[in-house]
Amino acid sequence: MVKDILVVKDLQVWFPVRQGFIESLVSKEQRYVKAVDGVSFNIKEKEIFCLVGESGCGKTTTGKGILRLVEPTGGSVKYYGKGKEILLKDMISDALAKGKITKAQAEKMTAEGGIDVRALHKSKMKKLRQKMQIIFQDPYESLNPKQSVYDIVAEPLVVNGIGATEAEREKRVVKALEDAGLRPPKDFMWRYPHEVSGGQRQRVGIAGSLVLEPEFLVADEPVSMLDVSIRSEILKLMLDLRDNKGLAFLFITHDLGVAYVFSDRIGIMYLGKIVELGPTEEVVKHPAHPYTKALISVVPTPDPEMRRNQIILKGERPDPSNMPPGCRFHPRCPFVMDICRKEAPATVFVSEGHWVSCHLEKGQAK
Amino acid sequence: MALLEIQGLRTYFKTQEGTLQAVDGIDFNLDKGQALGLAGESGCGKTTAALSIMKLLPANGYIAGGKINFMGQDMARVTGDKLRAIRWRDISIIFQGAMNALNPVKRVGEQIIEPIILHEKVDEEVALKRVKELFEMVGINPSRIREYPHEFSGGMRQRVMIAMALACKPRLVIADEPTTALDVMIQAQIIALLKSLQKDLDLAMIVISHDLSVLAETCDVLAIMYAGKIVERAPAGEVFYDPHHPYTRGLIAAFPNIHGEKKMPASIAGNPPNLINPTKGCRFYDRCFMKQDICKTKEPPLVEIKPGHWAACNFVPPMKG
Ligand SMILES: Nc1ncnc2c1ncn2[C@@H]1O[C@H](COP(=O)(O)OP(=O)(O)O)[C@@H](O)[C@H]1O
Ligand SMILES: Nc1ncnc2c1ncn2[C@@H]1O[C@H](COP(=O)(O)OP(=O)(O)O)[C@@H](O)[C@H]1O
Ligand SMILES: [Mg+2]
Ligand SMILES: [Mg+2]
Repeated sequence: MVKDILVVKDLQVWFPVRQGFIESLVSKEQRYVKAVDGVSFNIKEKEIFCLVGESGCGKTTTGKGILRLVEPTGGSVKYYGKGKEILLKDMISDALAKGKITKAQAEKMTAEGGIDVRALHKSKMKKLRQKMQIIFQDPYESLNPKQSVYDIVAEPLVVNGIGATEAEREKRVVKALEDAGLRPPKDFMWRYPHEVSGGQRQRVGIAGSLVLEPEFLVADEPVSMLDVSIRSEILKLMLDLRDNKGLAFLFITHDLGVAYVFSDRIGIMYLGKIVELGPTEEVVKHPAHPYTKALISVVPTPDPEMRRNQIILKGERPDPSNMPPGCRFHPRCPFVMDICRKEAPATVFVSEGHWVSCHLEKGQAK
Repeated sequence: MALLEIQGLRTYFKTQEGTLQAVDGIDFNLDKGQALGLAGESGCGKTTAALSIMKLLPANGYIAGGKINFMGQDMARVTGDKLRAIRWRDISIIFQGAMNALNPVKRVGEQIIEPIILHEKVDEEVALKRVKELFEMVGINPSRIREYPHEFSGGMRQRVMIAMALACKPRLVIADEPTTALDVMIQAQIIALLKSLQKDLDLAMIVISHDLSVLAETCDVLAIMYAGKIVERAPAGEVFYDPHHPYTRGLIAAFPNIHGEKKMPASIAGNPPNLINPTKGCRFYDRCFMKQDICKTKEPPLVEIKPGHWAACNFVPPMKG
C-alpha cells in the first residue's frame, strides 16, 4: 500500500480582524477572517495533489499553514516523510533525557512515526522545512535581482549551515541547477535574474528549493505568471522530479485545466473549505459539485465553440470574515435550494475516494 | 477607409548592446467597431506596437519606419494638444497591471472625473453623473466611487480601468493583457464584459494577450506575433480551426484540454531570438518543428493563403491566382 507523506486534518487558519474603536464598543465579539476553516486531506508518497479554487479561497494560506509560515489556529498536520526520522529520534531522545516523556510514550511516538508538525519547536521546524519546501508563484518578485543565480540557489545552504566548504556547496548548487533543467549549469550560474527568461527564472526558484533535497514541495501557482506556451515545460519538470526523485507535491492553482493534465488527485476549495475531492479524472469527468462544474467550464481554451458553454459565476472573492449561513456557496450557486440557505451540507461519498459537500448529492455520509 | 491603418511599422529601442528591433514591419487595418487580437509570447513586441500607436514610447524607443494612420490622420504629424486630445477622446488604453495604473491615494471616482472634466469641458455634476453611468456599465456598484483602489479586488480594479478607458467615449480602445494575473473565473467575467461593451458601444478594439484563449471570444481577427513580426493573421475562428504557421499551431497545442483525455499539452521549447541583430532567415527557425535549411537564409514574407488568411512560413504556399 502506498503510504501517506502528509496528513492534514481539520486545518484551521483564522486571522483576527482588527476592529475600529467604535466597533469594539458595539460588539465584544472578536471577528475572524476564516481563511482556512477545517480542511482535511492526505498526500501520498510520490503523489501530486492539487488544490484548486478562485483567488482568496485560502489555497496559499493552507500551503503556508502546513509549513507553519503562518501559524494554524486549529487542526493537525502530520508528516511521515523520511526526513522526519532523524528529527524524530532527536526529539524523542531529547524529551526522554529531559524527563518530559516516559519510555513508553517514546516508544509509542516512534511506532506511530508521524511528526506532529504543529507541536514542533521553532528550531526543529526550521530543520523540517529543509525537507518540506515551498515554491512561489511569481518568479519576478521572489528572486533578489541583485543576487546571481549561484548566490540565490546557494543561499538556503548558507542559511541552514549545510556544506562545510565552498566546493561542497558549489557541487550541490550545480546539481540543483541541473535537476531544475538549467543545463549546463555553468551557463546560468553567474547570470542575474533579469538576464534569464521567465521560464528560466521559475527554474531558478525551483533549483533554490531542490538544493536542500526536499521530499515534499508546496508549489504555489508556479506557472500562473508564465506564458501559456512554456507552462508545460515547467509542469514536466515537476513530473520528472516526482518520477526520478520521488518528490510529493501540494500543487496550488486557480486553473483546473492545469490541475487536470498534471495531478493525481484534486481538492476543490471554496471559501476556506474543500467542497469536492477525488482522483483527478474522476473529479473532472464526473464532477458532483456545481462549483466544480463552473470551474471546468471556464478553463481557458482558444476554441471559440467551447467558450460558449461557460458557466460564469457572478461576483467574486466572497468575504471570509463574513461567511454566509448554510452552504457557503449558496449565494452564487445556480442550483440553490431552500435547505442550502439554512444548513451546511454533509460530506458524502460519490465513488471510491471521491466525496463532495453538496445538498444535491444524496450519497452515504463520510 | 479603415479607422486605423498600420503599414510596415517598425519600432526600435536604443540599448547599450545595440538597436533592438522590437517591432519590425507589421501591417494591419482596423475598421470601426472591429476587434483585433494581438497574440504572442512575452517580448514579441505587442506592447511596443500599442505604445507606438498611442505615441507613448519610452525615451529610447523610436519609430524607425512605416505608417500609422488614424481616422485619416498621419499620427507621425500629430503633436502637442492635438495628440493629447486624441489620446483620451479617440484612443484610450487599458494598461497591463491595473494596480500600477491607478493612483493609490486618490478615490477612484476622482480619477475618472478629472479627465472627463478636462477633455469634455463639462462641469463636475455632469462628470459625476457620467462616472456613475460608467460604473453601472462595467458592473461596479456606483456607491463605490468614493473608495480607494486598494479597497477593490483585482477583478474590480480592472473594471475601474475599463470604466476609465471608456470615460470620454473613445472610438478605439487598446486593452493590453486585460486579464493577466486574474484567476480564470474573473478572467471569464472580464472577457464577457469587454465583449458586450464592444458590441453595445460599437467600439473598435485591439486586445493584446500572450494567451490566445483571451482573444478567441472577444476578437474578430487575430494577428499572431513572433519576434517583432506578424506570422499569421486571420479571422479568429480560422486561427483555431485552420492554423497554418507552426508557431500558431504550437500556441494552440499548449492549452490543456479539459474535455479531452488527460495528457500534458505540448510546449514550444526554446526561447525567442535576440532582437538585436536578429538572424537573416526565419525568426522562428530555432524552435520550429518544420524547419529546413532554406529557413536559415530566407525570411518568409506574410502572404495571403486564402481570402483574409495570411501567414509567413516558407512551407505555406500562397493562394493561387
Ligand atoms: N495575513 C493575513 N491576514 C489577514 N487575512 C489574510 C492574511 N493572509 C490571507 N488573508 C486572507 O485570507 C483569505 C485567503 O487568502 P489566500 O490563502 O491567499 O487565498 P488564495 O491563495 O486561495 O488566493 C483571503 O481573504 C485573504 O485576504
Ligand atoms: N524601453 C525599452 N528599452 C529596451 N528594450 C525594450 C524596451 N521596452 C521593451 N523592450 C524590448 O522590446 C521587446 C518587445 O517588448 P514588448 O513590446 O514589451 O513585448 P510584449 O508586450 O509582447 O511582451 C522585448 O525584447 C523587450 O525587452
Ligand atoms: Mg494564493
Ligand atoms: Mg506587453
